[in-house]
Amino acid sequence: MNTRRDFLKTSALGAGALTLGSPLRGIAAGTSSTGTPKRFIFIRKSNGLRPAELALPTFSSQEAAKNSKKEAFEVDLDKHELPVWMQSLEQYKSNLTMLHGLSAKMSENGHWSYSSVMGAFKSGRNSLSGIKRATIDFEMAKLFPSPFGHVELSLTGSYSSFRTGIVSGYSAPAAHQRNYCYADPQTAYNELFKSVINPGAVDSDNAMLKFLQNEESFKAEVIGGYEKLKLSNHISSIESIRGRNQKLEAISENIAKHLPELSPIHADGGPNASTPEKQKAMTDILVAALITGLTNVVTYTIDELSTPIKGLPGNEGDQISIHELGHNGGYSGVGADKIRENIRIGHMEQVVTIIEKLKQVPEGSGTMFDNTMIMYFPENAETHHSHGTEAPQIVLSGKNCNLDMAGRYIRLPYHATEGHKTIGNWYTTLLNTHGNPIEHYGDFDLDMARKKLDQAGAIKQLMI
Amino acid sequence: MTPPLSQLTALHAAVIYLIAGIMLSSASQVQARTWTSADGAQSFEGELEAYDPGSGILSVTIDGKTGTFNHAILSVADINYLKSLGEFKREKQRPKPVAKAEASAPSTESNGSSVKPVTANKAPGRSFKVHEQAAQLIDYYCIDCHEDGTEKGNMRFDNLESHSRDGWVDTLNKMQEQIHFGNMPPEDEDQFTEEERSQMLAWLSQELESLNANKLEEKLRTPAYGNYVNHKDLFSGEYKDLKPFTPGRRWLISEFIFDAKINGMLDHYPRQNIDGKQQEVLGDNNRKVNITNPFLLPTHSGVRDYANTGLNGGHLLTMITNGKETANHMMYLVGRNHRYLPSVNEILKREDEHKAILDSREKFLKNFIDRELVDIYGDKNESMLPAFVSVVDPNEQKAKDKDIKIAAFHSAAPGQDELADIFHTMKKVEESGDSDAQLIAKCERAWFYYGLNERKIASRVTFLQNYMEDWRKNIIQHKYEERQKPPVYKQLDTGEMKTIEETILAQREKGDRYIDIIGKCMAVWSAEFKQERVEAGDAPREQVETLIEEMFVKVLERSPTSEEAEQYVDLTESYFDSLGNREGIKKLIQTLMLRSDFAYRHEFGEGQEDAFGRKMLSPRDASYAISYALTDSSPDKELQEAAQSGRLNTREDYQREVVRLLEKRDQYYVIDEAVQRLENTASITNQPIRKLRFFREFFGYPQLLAIFKDNKRFGGDYDQSKARLVTETDRLIEHILQNDKDVFTELLTTEDFYVYHSGDNEAMTASSERIRTIYEYFKDLDWENFEIEDLRKHKEFLAKVEMRGVNVKDLEPKGRRNPIREFKRAMESFTIRLDEGETAAAPYVSFPAHGPYNASTRTGLQLRGPQVAKFFNIKLDNWNYPSVQPAKMEHRKGMLTHPAWLIAHAKNTETDPIHRGKWIQEKLLAGTIPDVPITVDAVVPEDHTKTMRQRLDDKTKQPECWGCHVKMNPLGLPFEMYDDFGRFRTEETLEHPDNLIEERPSKAAPHVDLRDIYKTLPVNPKGKLVGTGDPALDGDVKHAIDLAERLGKSDKVRQSIIRYAFRYFMGRNEFLSDSATLIDADRAYLETGGSFDAVIVSLLTSDSFIYRKSNNP
Repeated sequence: MNTRRDFLKTSALGAGALTLGSPLRGIAAGTSSTGTPKRFIFIRKSNGLRPAELALPTFSSQEAAKNSKKEAFEVDLDKHELPVWMQSLEQYKSNLTMLHGLSAKMSENGHWSYSSVMGAFKSGRNSLSGIKRATIDFEMAKLFPSPFGHVELSLTGSYSSFRTGIVSGYSAPAAHQRNYCYADPQTAYNELFKSVINPGAVDSDNAMLKFLQNEESFKAEVIGGYEKLKLSNHISSIESIRGRNQKLEAISENIAKHLPELSPIHADGGPNASTPEKQKAMTDILVAALITGLTNVVTYTIDELSTPIKGLPGNEGDQISIHELGHNGGYSGVGADKIRENIRIGHMEQVVTIIEKLKQVPEGSGTMFDNTMIMYFPENAETHHSHGTEAPQIVLSGKNCNLDMAGRYIRLPYHATEGHKTIGNWYTTLLNTHGNPIEHYGDFDLDMARKKLDQAGAIKQLMI
Repeated sequence: MTPPLSQLTALHAAVIYLIAGIMLSSASQVQARTWTSADGAQSFEGELEAYDPGSGILSVTIDGKTGTFNHAILSVADINYLKSLGEFKREKQRPKPVAKAEASAPSTESNGSSVKPVTANKAPGRSFKVHEQAAQLIDYYCIDCHEDGTEKGNMRFDNLESHSRDGWVDTLNKMQEQIHFGNMPPEDEDQFTEEERSQMLAWLSQELESLNANKLEEKLRTPAYGNYVNHKDLFSGEYKDLKPFTPGRRWLISEFIFDAKINGMLDHYPRQNIDGKQQEVLGDNNRKVNITNPFLLPTHSGVRDYANTGLNGGHLLTMITNGKETANHMMYLVGRNHRYLPSVNEILKREDEHKAILDSREKFLKNFIDRELVDIYGDKNESMLPAFVSVVDPNEQKAKDKDIKIAAFHSAAPGQDELADIFHTMKKVEESGDSDAQLIAKCERAWFYYGLNERKIASRVTFLQNYMEDWRKNIIQHKYEERQKPPVYKQLDTGEMKTIEETILAQREKGDRYIDIIGKCMAVWSAEFKQERVEAGDAPREQVETLIEEMFVKVLERSPTSEEAEQYVDLTESYFDSLGNREGIKKLIQTLMLRSDFAYRHEFGEGQEDAFGRKMLSPRDASYAISYALTDSSPDKELQEAAQSGRLNTREDYQREVVRLLEKRDQYYVIDEAVQRLENTASITNQPIRKLRFFREFFGYPQLLAIFKDNKRFGGDYDQSKARLVTETDRLIEHILQNDKDVFTELLTTEDFYVYHSGDNEAMTASSERIRTIYEYFKDLDWENFEIEDLRKHKEFLAKVEMRGVNVKDLEPKGRRNPIREFKRAMESFTIRLDEGETAAAPYVSFPAHGPYNASTRTGLQLRGPQVAKFFNIKLDNWNYPSVQPAKMEHRKGMLTHPAWLIAHAKNTETDPIHRGKWIQEKLLAGTIPDVPITVDAVVPEDHTKTMRQRLDDKTKQPECWGCHVKMNPLGLPFEMYDDFGRFRTEETLEHPDNLIEERPSKAAPHVDLRDIYKTLPVNPKGKLVGTGDPALDGDVKHAIDLAERLGKSDKVRQSIIRYAFRYFMGRNEFLSDSATLIDADRAYLETGGSFDAVIVSLLTSDSFIYRKSNNP
C-alpha cells in the first residue's frame, strides 16, 4: 500500500529529477554523461491477445498443462519454437520476452480501455475525470527528456475510414488530460519533421512567439507584485517554447539526415492507402522520431476496434472490421481466427522493422536498439470482450535493458493468487529500474486486496 | 512566565553562524566512491547515503544534492560493492561548536537548554545568521523540546549549523508556519508576547525573503489555509468597520469557462431533449473539433477555483495545438456561415469565388465526364481511353470454407459515401437482364476508366461479389432511390462549358483516365486563378482592420485598443505575406488564443480611488465577474447592455443583475459530463450552474467517481450504480436549492432522498403503476404455464400496456425473438417486486435491453442503475417503491449520511474516519488541522481481528498523534455506522480470508446480494463534538445522526459554510477586512429564513466583490 511518506519520496524524486546536478541526473535517469537515453515504444493493439495465441507450440506436455492451468512457470525461448504469427521474431528470440500472467482488472475492460490500460485506473468510459494520473509512457518520458517529450501515433477509424489529422490520443500527460495524437502518416510526418520540411511554418511560429513575448513583457512592465509573477510565468512559458523550437532547429541537420520517405499515397490523409501501407509508413516515422532525437518515447495504437482493415494479405479486397472479427465473423471464406492471426503477423513485421532499423544506427559501442524496449500489448487484455484477468506483454529489448527477462516465456501466478502481478507491478518495474523509485504505480487490484494478498511494488524476478 | 528580552544571556545576544553543506565524517568516507554506469560509459563521485538490498534502491549525494535510483543502472562492480554492504544507512553528522561559542557557557537561566553555537563554516561563502533576538527567543521557548534527545516533530535547533541551504530554508519555513498559526509554543507551555511573536515572525520572514524562499505567503493564499483567519474575529463585529476589497488581479479561467469560451468561438450550442422538449444545453462539450482543456482545476473537496493560480508552460504548449485546431475549425465555419466572421469572407472573397467555380467544374466533371468526353470526341473517345485491366484475377481460386461465419453486411460495407457511389454506378451501367456477375464487371470497367485506385475497385468488387443479395435488400430498405438519387445531367452555363471543353481538348492525352483529365484541368484552372489573385494585390488595409476588430471580439470578446489594432494589422499582414491569406488568418487566431488575456480574467478596478484607496470594477469587468460568479459563460445580452449603457455602476445595479440571473430558469446546463457519459445518465439542471456546483465541490461527493470499488464487496454492479448515485445527490441539492429555505440545515439534516428516480414524480409514478397493473392483471392466472395461445387471449390488455418483447401483432417466436419467454421473465421480475405486499414496484428493466423501457431519464434515455438502492440498504426484491421523491430513507439524516458523501470520503476497501472527521473540522467547524508531518507513516495497521475503530485507536491514540487526531477521530468515528459503500450497519464485517464464513456467487440478478459473508464485530459509532462554541451542542454524540442534528443547529457551522461560499464566489481566502461582508451575508441568510440566494446576492453586492485595490509595490 502506498503511504504518504512513500508518495512524498516519489514526488520529491519526480520533481527533483530535472533539477539534480547533471552527473546524477544522468545516472538517475539511466542516461550516460554522453547523453545516451533509453527508448520506449509502447504498441497498443485491439481485440485482445488470447492466452492460447501465445502458447509455444513446442511446450512439453507438462509445460502445456501448466500453461493451460495458468500455473506459474518459465522456459527459455531458444529451446522452443515461436507461434506461427511470431515467426518473424525467430532471429530475435534472445531479445524477446513473452510475459504472461499479468492482469489489468483495475483498468477498463470489455471492448476498450481508452487511457486506462497505460495508467492502471478505470477511465470511466473515457471521461476526462476518469483519467487519474499520467500514463506510464509519459512517466517514462519524464525520465528521458527530449524536445518533443513524448510522441503518440495511432491508426484508428470509424470502421469504414481512417481518422486523419491531429486527434484525441489515448495517453495522458497528467490527471484529467488527454493527449493529442497524430492519426495518419502524412500529418505525423508534417508535424514531427516540420523544422526541416516546412521551415516557413517554423519561422511563422517563431515570429508569433516573439511578438507575444514582446507584447506580454510590455504588459508586465506596468504591474507589480504577485500579478506580475503571473505574467512573468506566461512570458517564461513562451520563452521555453521558443527554446524548444531552437533545440529543434539545432538538430534539424540530423532530422534531415534521417527523414523517412513517405509515399504520395499518404497525401491528404491517405484515403487509398491500405492498412499495411499505413502501418509501414507509421513505423518509418516512429523510427525516425527516435533516431533524430525528437523523442525517446513513442506510443503507437497500431489498431483499435474501429480501425478499418483494408488490403490485408489473404483478404486484399475485403474491408474488414476488427470488431466483427471479435465476434468471429469471417471474410471471403477466411475465418476470423486466421484473419486475426494475419493481422498479428503484420504487427510483428512492423516490430521487426523497428528492430532492424534501430540496429542500423550506431550508438555507444553498439546500436540504438541496445537501449530500446518495444512493448506490444493488447489495450483491453485477453479477448474481444475482456475481463482483465490476463493482459500479456510481448517485449523486445536490447542488450542494455535494465531488466533481466529477455529470451524467456514467463508465466506469472494467475490473477488473485499468491504472487500474482498486475500491469501496475509491470509499470512499477519499468519505473523502478529506470530511476523512479515509486513504491507502486497505478491502482490496486481489488480481488487481490479482498484476499489480502501483497501486490505493491516491482516484479522482483525481472530486476537485475 | 515570559522573561523580558533583557534577561537573556549575553551569549545569546551574539550572532550565531550556521553553516550549510554536507560534512563528511570518517565513517562516511567509506562510502565515498566513484560510481560507474552499467554500460561503463560514465562515472561520477558521490557518497552513499542509504541502500536497500531488497529493492535495490540507493541514495547518493553529490555536491550536496541527493538522488535516489535503482542499482540496476550501475556497473556490476558497484552492485557487488553495494551487496557486500548489505542494508545501509549513513549516520547523521554531529555538529562541531565554533571556538567562540565553545568559550561561552550555555544559558541555564531559563530552562537549562540553548541554541548551540556554530563550530566552523565548512562551506565557505554559505553561512546563515540567526538574529540576536531570535536566538534568545528560540533558546527560551523552543530549545527544550527541539534538541538532540527530544527532537519533537523531527525538528532540532541545536544543530542548525549542520543544515544545507535547503535544510535551513525548510527549517525556517516550518518555524514560521508553526509560529504564525499559533501552533508553537504548545498550549501548555510559555507563550510569546505579541511583541516577541512579531519580532520572531519579522526575522523569519526577512530571512526567507532574502533567500526568495518564503512559502508562507504563498500558502496563505491557498484554499487549505483559508481557515487560519480567526473565525471569531471575522464574525464578532470587532472588525466590521474595516473596508473590504479584493486585490487587483488576473484570475485564470477555469476548465468550465475555457470550454464555454471555445464553444462560443465555435458556435457550438448543442441541444438535448429534456422533459420532451428540445432545449439548448450549456456545458455539453462533445465538439467535432479536438480540443484539450489545459485549465483543469484541482480535485480536492472544497473550493477549487482560486485566483492565485498561474499559467505555466504546460498550459501554453497545449494552447498552441488548441489554437491551431480551433483556427482550422473556425475557417471551416467561415465557409458554412457567411455571418460567422464576415471580414474573413471578405478577405477570402476572391479565393472563395475561385473555389466555388473550381468546385462546380470539378463536380460537373466527376459526375458527367464520360458523357462530356463522348460529346467532345465522338467516336474517337473510345480509342483514347486506356486498355482495361481487371483487378479480378481469373486464376485466383479462393477455397471458401462454407462453415465459416460470414461477417455481417454492415461489417463488410465500405462506408456510406462509398455505398452511394456504388449505387450511382450501378444505376448508370445496369441493363435489364444483367446477371450479378455482368453488372459487377460493368461497374468495375466504369471505375477503371474513371481512374479509381486499384485497391478501391478491388474492395468494391469484393463487396459486391460477397454481399450482392444483402446489398440489394439494403438499397430498398434504406430507400436509395429516393435518398441517394443519381445526379441528373445538366450543363453549366455556356461560358463555363466552353472553358471546360477547351481545357479538356488542350490537356487530354491518349490513355488518360477520367481522373487524370480532371486533375490536369483543375491544376490549370487553379494556377490561373492564383495568378489572378497575385495580380489583384494584397488585401486592403481597411479589410485587415475589420478582420482584427472581428477577431478580437470573437476570441477576446472585446475590441482592440488603437495600439493593439495597429500592431495586429502589421502582424497579420506579415502573416499574409509569409503564409498566404487563409493560413495567415489561422495564425492570427492562434496568436490571439495565446495571449494572457485569453487565459485570465481581468479585475483591476477603474476610475477614481475612494478614500480607502479602492476602485470599483469597470462595468465591463463587473459584467464578467457577475456572469462568471453564477455561470461559466460570458455576460448575457442583458448584462452586456447594462455594462455598455452605464447601468452597472452601483450596488443596486449589481443586485438587479444578480437577482435576475438567479431567477433565470430558461437555460439548461450539463452538471457533469463524466456522469452524463456513465450509463447515459441525465445530468442536467436549469438552476445557475455555479450555485449547484458550489455544493458539489463543498461536499466533494463527485469524487466517488474516481474511487475504484469492488463489485463483489458491493454485492452488485457498483460501476453501473455510481453515476446514478451522483446524479441523484445532485438532484437532492437542486431540490433543496429550489425551495431555498433553511438551506444549510436542510442539507445537513434532511431525511428525504432520491433513490432510483428521474426527478419526474408523475412519470415515475406512472412507470411504477404500469408494473403493478400488469402484475395485478396476471398474478392470479397460471401465467407461469402460459403458451402463446394463452397470451393471445390477453391481446387487448397487452396492446395497452406494451410489454417489451411481447408484440401482440406478432406473437410467434422467431429467431432470437420469443414473446412467451420475455413475458415470463418480466412477470417473474414483477412478482419478485410485488409479492410481499408491496404497493408499488421500482420501475427497472426486467432483463437487459437497449433503449428506454419502464422508466426513462428526463432526457428520454433508459433509467439505469437500480442497484443504487443497495447503498441505502434497500433490497430490490422487497422495496415498497416511493414514486414521489425525495422520500424518507431509514437511518439517514442529511448529506453527511448520504452514501455519495460517505463513499467519496472513504477508501477503496474501508471507511476513512480520519478524513471524514477532518472534513467536518475544516468545512463545518472552521477549524484547522496541520499537515501530516513528513515523518508520520499515516497508515492504519491491518488487523483482521479488530474493527476499524480499534485499529485506529491503536495507531492514533499515541501521544505524538493524538494532539491532531483528537480534532478528527471523534468527529469521523460516528460514521462507522456506515460502511465504505455508505450502507448502514450495526456490525462491521472483518473482510479477510481467515474470517470467511460463506462465499456467495459472483454474478446474479440485480436483486441478489453477492457479498461473501465474514465474521463481524459490533460497531461503536460514538463520538464527540467539540468546536461549535455552543455548550448545548458540544459534547458526546451517540452516532452520525445525532452528530448531524447538532451540526445542523450550529451558528458556527452556518458561518463556516458562508466562509466557503465567500471563497467560492470571490476566488480567494477571506481577510480580516472582509468581516463586514461575511457578517452581512450571514445576516441575509438569517433574515430570509435560510435563503442561499440571499447569501449570494449579499456576497456579490459586497465591497469585497465590487472593489479592487492595487497590490503593486
